[in-house]
Amino acid sequence: MADVVRVVAADDPLRALFSPAGELTAEGRSRLGLDAAALRELYRNMVLIRRADQEALNLQRQGELGLWGQFLGQEAIHVGAMTALRTTDWVFPSYREFGMAMIRGVDPADMLTMFRGLSHGPWDPRKYHFAPLAIPVATQVPHAVGFALGCRLKHSDEVVLSTFGDGATSEGDWHEAMNFAGVFKAPVVFLCQNNGWAISVPLSKQTAGSIADRARGYGFPGIRIDGNDVLGVYAAVTAAADRARQGEGPYLIEAATYRMGAHTSSDDPTRYRTESELEAWNVKDPIARYRAWLEQQGIIDEGTVAAITDAAESAAQAMRARLTAMPTPPPGEAIFGRVYSNPPESFLREREEFESSLEDS
Amino acid sequence: MADQTFRLPDLGEGLTEAQLVAWRVEEGGRVDVNTPLCEVETAKAVVVIPSPWAGTIHKLHARPGESVAVGEPLVTITPAEATQAEATPGTLVGYGPGAPESGIRRKARSAPAAAESSGDVRAAPFVRQLAKDMGVDLAHVTGSGPGGRITRADVEAAASSPAAAASTPTDGERRISVVGIRKAIARQMLRSVSTIPQFTEFAVFDATNLMAAREEGKASGRSMTPLPYFIAAVVKAVRAYPLMNSSWDESRDEIIVKQPINVGIAVNTSQGLLVPVLRGADKLELTAIAEKSAQLVEGARAGTLPPNQMSGGTITVTNVGASGPVETGTPIINPPECCVVAFGAIKPRPMVVQGQVVARSGAWISISVDHRIVDGALATEFLTALVSELESISA
Amino acid sequence: MAKAINLSLRDALTHDENVLIFGEDVGALGGVFRITDGLQKEFGEERVFDTPLAESSIIGIAVGLALRGFRPVPEIQFDGFIYPAFEQIVSHVAKYRNRSGVSMPITIRVPFGGHIGAVEHHSESPEAYFAHTAGLKVVSPSTPADAYALLQAAIDDPDPVIFFEPKARYYLKEEIDTAARVPIGKARVAQEGSGVTVIAYGPTVSIALQAAKTAAAEEISLEVIDLRSLSPLDMDTVMASVRKTHRAVVVHEAPVFCGFGAEVAARISHDGFDLLEAPVARIGGLNVPYPPARYEKLYLPDVDRILQAADAALAYG
Repeated sequence: MADVVRVVAADDPLRALFSPAGELTAEGRSRLGLDAAALRELYRNMVLIRRADQEALNLQRQGELGLWGQFLGQEAIHVGAMTALRTTDWVFPSYREFGMAMIRGVDPADMLTMFRGLSHGPWDPRKYHFAPLAIPVATQVPHAVGFALGCRLKHSDEVVLSTFGDGATSEGDWHEAMNFAGVFKAPVVFLCQNNGWAISVPLSKQTAGSIADRARGYGFPGIRIDGNDVLGVYAAVTAAADRARQGEGPYLIEAATYRMGAHTSSDDPTRYRTESELEAWNVKDPIARYRAWLEQQGIIDEGTVAAITDAAESAAQAMRARLTAMPTPPPGEAIFGRVYSNPPESFLREREEFESSLEDS
Repeated sequence: MADQTFRLPDLGEGLTEAQLVAWRVEEGGRVDVNTPLCEVETAKAVVVIPSPWAGTIHKLHARPGESVAVGEPLVTITPAEATQAEATPGTLVGYGPGAPESGIRRKARSAPAAAESSGDVRAAPFVRQLAKDMGVDLAHVTGSGPGGRITRADVEAAASSPAAAASTPTDGERRISVVGIRKAIARQMLRSVSTIPQFTEFAVFDATNLMAAREEGKASGRSMTPLPYFIAAVVKAVRAYPLMNSSWDESRDEIIVKQPINVGIAVNTSQGLLVPVLRGADKLELTAIAEKSAQLVEGARAGTLPPNQMSGGTITVTNVGASGPVETGTPIINPPECCVVAFGAIKPRPMVVQGQVVARSGAWISISVDHRIVDGALATEFLTALVSELESISA
Repeated sequence: MAKAINLSLRDALTHDENVLIFGEDVGALGGVFRITDGLQKEFGEERVFDTPLAESSIIGIAVGLALRGFRPVPEIQFDGFIYPAFEQIVSHVAKYRNRSGVSMPITIRVPFGGHIGAVEHHSESPEAYFAHTAGLKVVSPSTPADAYALLQAAIDDPDPVIFFEPKARYYLKEEIDTAARVPIGKARVAQEGSGVTVIAYGPTVSIALQAAKTAAAEEISLEVIDLRSLSPLDMDTVMASVRKTHRAVVVHEAPVFCGFGAEVAARISHDGFDLLEAPVARIGGLNVPYPPARYEKLYLPDVDRILQAADAALAYG
């Protein structure tokens, strides 16, 4: 019988930072290397992105956006992960990582044009090291692995963050990508935002097993952590990224959280989940919890909290103003402009015909 | 600032309506941006709608329980001072299947572009098959369709004759290219005079009664040109002399006497002489003849008549000299008919009535007739009958 | 139409205990468009169930279930998500009988088409890929009545059927007669006319009918054919119409280039060569990825474009 491959503890620097239940230990917290300003910044970013997310939903209800998928409740993951990475580390999101893109510096009003019917991809991935939002589930995961492999081939110490939800871990693409990552020892941090639901399908119907444990089958470690603890997420992603930068290969972090909002603005969660479940998770709200800890540590005061709330409010209004004032880009460019690098004659002719068929052409 | 009306957006990717569950505000109440306005229920969910503007609620446009269509007004708000950026009120992105336009549109439908002529013989497959069936050589047909395309009508009207050979121009000459209708006319006329032995007879008729009838008609609101009277009279005369409504079948040496009287009306158009056909003239009352013939004349001039109104004639009438000094002419038969009737202008002319020369309304009629079918004697009888009909018109 | 499909599924579940409905969110939620609303509650989790998020396996397990004697009616949540399942559909669902003699009585339901202001991947028209695959049958209803009856026919069919539901028409309402039968492979004349034949399916049928109405006011007579079935294709109905009108236009949302209209146009040109007084025209999407929602009306066929094509056909000569 062949030897069973065991994942050695020394290979898994995250394990020591977390309790078996996935909570950051005191030891882990002490080694974060974040000063007071940085700790407050984490709070500020969570408040900022949550307020923007709420404003996006309002805009959808007002007919300014066709659709919105809230990430309410998942702010700790967005902020913790992005803060842990270098700005040169690429991120491959699914379709809910609006907060992450904001932190990377993508203008939120630009991002919202995707949901306003103006663009399928409003930012240059190369400028922000942030891939386009990916709507078909898990299709982005092989992309992340390929990119990471490319980094390795170029002998760079870049790391790639591949993020996705619990539903994605059922897709064939996910398993193939995980396997490739293991075989090629790709420098990728797989971050599963397990928010408990894939539209109306709960985790119990999505898988009979453990997401974090799957990594073992693909030849690398995995861990399940509390995704509503911004410091825990920060610690985990930092450690996993460091490990990858040193050439040790991929890591799977399953961050347990909850999708506090609906799947999208077209969804009605009252049809498939209970108020009591929502309440149980509300009590564990990542922002409220972190604020309480900061206050307890004397790192933040009421005045700063109020100022941060106001700043988030202004930012949301600025986003609204910028979005609603945006002109519609010319149709020829929007529809034909980026299809080919080297467009054929026939394609250009079709574009000309189309443009001359428009009023005021 | 002007009141702004917020219309119900498509809240869920393709919804068409929502039911108002409850208002969260009242008319006259103040709201800020994002203040909850109401709850609505869509096919997918119950949703709270926040206010897009700050201001005062001027009017609520629905009652709880009512259904509101996407795009219909929900609430009108009198905005507070212009502190917010005012762009588009409720742009209705995600607008549902039946919603208003978003600004940029395609040009409205326009007339099809004219096709360019090419050297090829252009004819649609159906037209080619028709030509084959009718024994028409498309190379000798000039197309009257867009870009010189040969139409079904062209094939139907075509006869076989070789195209004129090209030659080099000499001094003092001007060459005019013959295409389209001109060419078709040329073909038809040549065919007529070269295959039909035709002779012409002339008569003058007293139009006093016809003009009186016209005046009476005008007085009671039915203004008609002489044409419908001519046609009606021809029909009556043809009924008495059905051989005038026939055709010589060359292939079998037979005379085909036609039953319906379909009167071709020669019309001068900018494109040349066209002969639309008033089908079943023998079944029509005078007023119907007037109406239909007027339509045909107009249609021929406008070029809008379909093929079935341009073919199937059994006898033709034509006007010679509508005014001026020209009295009459020798009309050429429209093949394969037997007879063509030409009417001169009705005008005052000297006539002898009871030994006195008087001025009466009158006009020349000339008929050309196919001598294979009809001899002089019969032609004379027919013409006499026609004159009689015309002179005995009563109002 | 959503309710008609729901009723059709309910009746199918009632009449045949081997019918199973499964896919993402079809159970407790009743589907993202509520098409399967109430079915799990009525028939239980062993007849109507949610699956993990995996289109390839949703179809893959359908193959297995069919072999085991069931009549699977899986749902692919959106047109743009059918692609992971493409392999299973084309390599197995379509070819199993050919390989083994064992039939695949699978009906795959897919909402398709645009015009709902959606984000990327939610407005696709992939029907040509499947019509091009022998072994499959491909249908698309345009009315609630046909949605009910055609789905019955699809589920009854021992062969696999891809059932494309025009999602922009889900809220179309009409009275239906559940006793009416619509066979697969039969088109219908949606509107009689004599001037130009307009051939459409799914979401473009109502647009064609609107065009016919506008044209009638101008004394132009359009005959609208609703194909209903793409594969098999009812050319008899199409040719009977072309025999009458001598002119044809095909309309679909999918891009014109290599779209399903090309098959129809080629067949008409070939089988009816001597009937045509104008070339057969195709109206459809541009040869680009489906554009962002703000531009979709410029991309999709509309009444004006259909009338423009009809005008050109009539003016051809």
